[in-house]
Amino acid sequence: MTQQQTEGGDVRLTGISKTYGSFTAVHPLDLTVPQGSFFALLGASGCGKTTTLRMIAGLEEATTGTVSLGGRDITDLPPYKRPVNTVFQSYALFPHLDVSENVAFGLRRRGIKSVKKQVGEMLDLVQLGDFARRKPHQLSGGQQQRVAVARALINHPQVLLLDEPLGALDLKLRRQMQLELKRIQTEVGITFIHVTHDQEEAMTMADTVAVMNGGRVEQLGAPADLYENPRTTFVANFLGTSNLIEGEIVSTGTDVVVSAGGGKLRLPGGRCPSPAESGGKLLVGVRPEKISLAHTDDAGAIPEGRNRVTGRITDSSFIGVSTQYVVESPAGTALQVYEQNIERDGRLVPGADVVLHWNPEHTFGLDAAQSIDAGVAEGLEDAA
Amino acid sequence: MEQYEPERLSAPQLAAMRRSLKDGRGALTRRSLLRASGTGALALGGLGVLSACGIPPAARAGDASASDDHSAAEKQVNFSNWTEYMDVSEDEKSRPTLDAFTKRTGIAVKYTEDINDNVEFFGKIKPQLAAGQDTGRDLIIVTDWLAARIIRLGWAQKLDHAYLPHAFANLSAQFRRPDWDPGRAYSYPWTGIPTVIAYNEKATGGRKVDSVTQLLDDPKLKGKVSFLSEMRDSVGMTLLDMGKDPGSFTDADFDAAIGRMQKGVDTKQIRRFTGNDYTADLSKGDIAACVAWAGDIIQLQADNPAIKFSIPSAGYITSSDNMLVPAGARHKTNAEKLMDYYYELPVAAQLAAYINYVCPVDGVAGELAKIDESMASNTLILPDKAMAAKSRAFRSLEPDEETAYEEKFAKLIGA
Amino acid sequence: MSVTEAPPAHPAEEAEVRKPSTRRRLVPYWLLLPGILWLLVFFALPMVYQASTSVQTGSLEKGFEVTWHFRTYWDALADYYPQFIRSLLYAGTATLLCLLLGYPLAYLIAFKAGRWRNLVLVLVIAPFFTSFLIRTLAWKTILADGGAVVDVLNTLHVLDVTSWLGWTENNRVLATPMAVVCGLTYNFLPFMILPLYTSLERIDGRLHEAAGDLYATPATTFRKVTLPLSMPGVVSGTLLTFIPASGDYVNAELLGSTDTKMVGSVIQTQFLRVLDYPTAAALSFILMAVVLLVVTVYIRRSGTEDLV
Repeated sequence: MTQQQTEGGDVRLTGISKTYGSFTAVHPLDLTVPQGSFFALLGASGCGKTTTLRMIAGLEEATTGTVSLGGRDITDLPPYKRPVNTVFQSYALFPHLDVSENVAFGLRRRGIKSVKKQVGEMLDLVQLGDFARRKPHQLSGGQQQRVAVARALINHPQVLLLDEPLGALDLKLRRQMQLELKRIQTEVGITFIHVTHDQEEAMTMADTVAVMNGGRVEQLGAPADLYENPRTTFVANFLGTSNLIEGEIVSTGTDVVVSAGGGKLRLPGGRCPSPAESGGKLLVGVRPEKISLAHTDDAGAIPEGRNRVTGRITDSSFIGVSTQYVVESPAGTALQVYEQNIERDGRLVPGADVVLHWNPEHTFGLDAAQSIDAGVAEGLEDAA
Repeated sequence: MEQYEPERLSAPQLAAMRRSLKDGRGALTRRSLLRASGTGALALGGLGVLSACGIPPAARAGDASASDDHSAAEKQVNFSNWTEYMDVSEDEKSRPTLDAFTKRTGIAVKYTEDINDNVEFFGKIKPQLAAGQDTGRDLIIVTDWLAARIIRLGWAQKLDHAYLPHAFANLSAQFRRPDWDPGRAYSYPWTGIPTVIAYNEKATGGRKVDSVTQLLDDPKLKGKVSFLSEMRDSVGMTLLDMGKDPGSFTDADFDAAIGRMQKGVDTKQIRRFTGNDYTADLSKGDIAACVAWAGDIIQLQADNPAIKFSIPSAGYITSSDNMLVPAGARHKTNAEKLMDYYYELPVAAQLAAYINYVCPVDGVAGELAKIDESMASNTLILPDKAMAAKSRAFRSLEPDEETAYEEKFAKLIGA
Repeated sequence: MSVTEAPPAHPAEEAEVRKPSTRRRLVPYWLLLPGILWLLVFFALPMVYQASTSVQTGSLEKGFEVTWHFRTYWDALADYYPQFIRSLLYAGTATLLCLLLGYPLAYLIAFKAGRWRNLVLVLVIAPFFTSFLIRTLAWKTILADGGAVVDVLNTLHVLDVTSWLGWTENNRVLATPMAVVCGLTYNFLPFMILPLYTSLERIDGRLHEAAGDLYATPATTFRKVTLPLSMPGVVSGTLLTFIPASGDYVNAELLGSTDTKMVGSVIQTQFLRVLDYPTAAALSFILMAVVLLVVTVYIRRSGTEDLV
């Protein structure tokens, strides 16, 4: 994706950073957002994602580095001269103007006199044609959000910046708006840069997600790639849930074998942080839904070649499509397992001895030098 | 430039300003309105209340209702006076002459400084007087024209001179026969207030200003002359200057005097008509010469030696503040005893030394000299014969006349 | 009494249901009562008395009686229309000056003052800690004939221009219309700044960012976003300044001269000195009517009925 055909409209951040006094909000950062992509900046509050967005919009002055758009350096341009538009967190609709004047605001500022047709079309696009004469306070949250999008999009910006645009909406509406935003982006083909703390939102909508933590980009990639191949414990824990087991490398090769919790676990060498050396420490990770659960009595039926961990169920919760188990084992005190509710085994209740088993292919390795819990708290907090 | 620092207002000047704010007699002294003035329309609403209160005809209860006098049973007297019009001890906690009175007679004095302005005070007591009720006051002090009005309306009690031996004996000749209370049947003066010409020697370039003619015609004083917004003072001084007697003038004379001042207004010779607030202007030199009240000048001189006063050869106006016993008062005899007390020479001297106005008591010079030699020789406090001879009082006015004159004067001063 | 009661089927029940609801319905009126009484006693009644006074004739001696002498109004207006016009002119000018001076300051406090905000607000109100009269008297020192202000204005030949316009005279400021307007402006400035500040402070700072983001230059942002949103403050500020200023007479008395007297002076002179209560009442009514008219037209024109 660094070499796409339409490099002309890319947003390119080079060494950009922001410090407030002694506090560094954003460490020097390089980032390229290809034209036409739906790009998400994901992270917990205070990670620097919004500051990064505001530097692109020109609402925040970069301490170092440059912002360029389609090869043109716009670092020193004031916001009103940048061909980008923003959808603000709480929409920032002009309360004294009606919906159509809000939407027409940008056009009028650029000296366009006949705005009626464009405004009408834009309101139709966001399905607010009947609300043109309403004042913002007469609209629901979702409607206001769509006005904010229309107000920005009508200017045909090269880049649309969305700052937590769905944060104020309830869950159901948020899901609906996610789809709608995605639809609009597909329709208009403009580059969207979307700031969110909601990992599910980022993964649903974006082509590319940059996970930010502590003013730095931790990892950047397609949602599935980030999910399957987290490169840091923060990403592993912040994006979904991961079981991380600390172990020692026993052998390397095509497969790496790790001894952990009294057993041996196998994972593809390609999924280890290089270089993996015998005797070294490694964090072995596996997603809860990849794990199967068998009662100890059925341990014999588990096919050969799968990673196994024995333990005891300490908790289980039924959530409809699946059941989530917490398992205590020598490898870890609280391993998570999600079992699809296809054929429920009545013996799998708290206190039961079980064997966890999964395909070694689904195992990833992380550098053991990092905190095993990074991103856990943030992930939980934001899911709430 | 530094002379315009606010600090430059000296203590006496500030005191003068304070006084002008608190107990001035001029146009500027309508404190009841000032309080409300921040909220214009509401203030006008307030006016409405007042005007509503004043509608019933002023009851002419014949001769003042000789109210039941409770003096013997209740050894007290309620005395309403202007602020800073009574001697105060150095620590400002007691009033020596009043305390001495109580000690001697056993009559407790409830002393209230609730008079800030004649017209305002009149508005305050009028409803009760008109309704024939007790105002709660046994002794009040008001300026002569208001005293005249109250007496005319039958709202003052006739005094019993048996209780006023000192007052009867010691009252200066100058104050004995006002046309509004000949023989002092109802009132005795508290102080005399000479209206003179004052000037700032620095602002006049060392020249003396000693006539109203000079105030009105001297081109060097153009725009630096002020008159008082009290009709009787300004018109009276002008009448005198025109050779008319303020004690017996005609409508035509009055109109001529107004016309003379109107010319001064039109040519911008006269800068303003003022209440007590002229004192600061005079001291600064923004006003070079003006018609002024003697009491203010004594205070100003204490601080600014450039302030001088002159007595026009044509004469000057003296008004007075007078003690009255209002109708309905419960302690008339006690009030009379208090009035008489202030005509005893040592007491009069003690008071005069404190308040710096003309003392209406004859023979007080010796006592005053014991307190302060310079005061005893100050003709603004104790006028000598020559000066007293030039003093004139403004004649009392019939109600219709008063309204007409005030109206004409109001037009002269802009409203 | 019980004739109109509901049929005796469940009288107890009925009564129980009805009583509390009636009481509850009355609650708002009870809450209104103190305010209504206050207005009645201190506003409505005086207004009635005043209206009655204005159509009476008589004198203090003979008493006043209602003769429906409406001519008083006409006479008062004929005699004192210059003071009326002057009041409106001075109050209007002072209001405009307050707006021009107050808006930037309120803007600064609301958006730029940061941690100094409270301090600056206190400074704005600080003059109120001294009396109205003392504050006004202070201007006599500031504008004194030989004072620094007048010297500077003279050196810059500003006073030549203002004298030519009739605002000042003889190269002095005191005792001229300019001094009166200065005093009014100074005394009522906080009444302008505070409502302006309140309405500016309520404006979400992100609206400025949004406007900038939508191609509005800072100037356009002010014109199209800040100013319209601060209109409630502008309107209430101008009203709070104009209404009391048009009834004020202290500034005119202290800083002005014979030809700068405002209608407030006339009213109090008529009331307290001339003792012509009907004329005083009529003048008050005319002033009230004129101010009401001006304010109504102003509110209509500014189109902020729903914002105020």
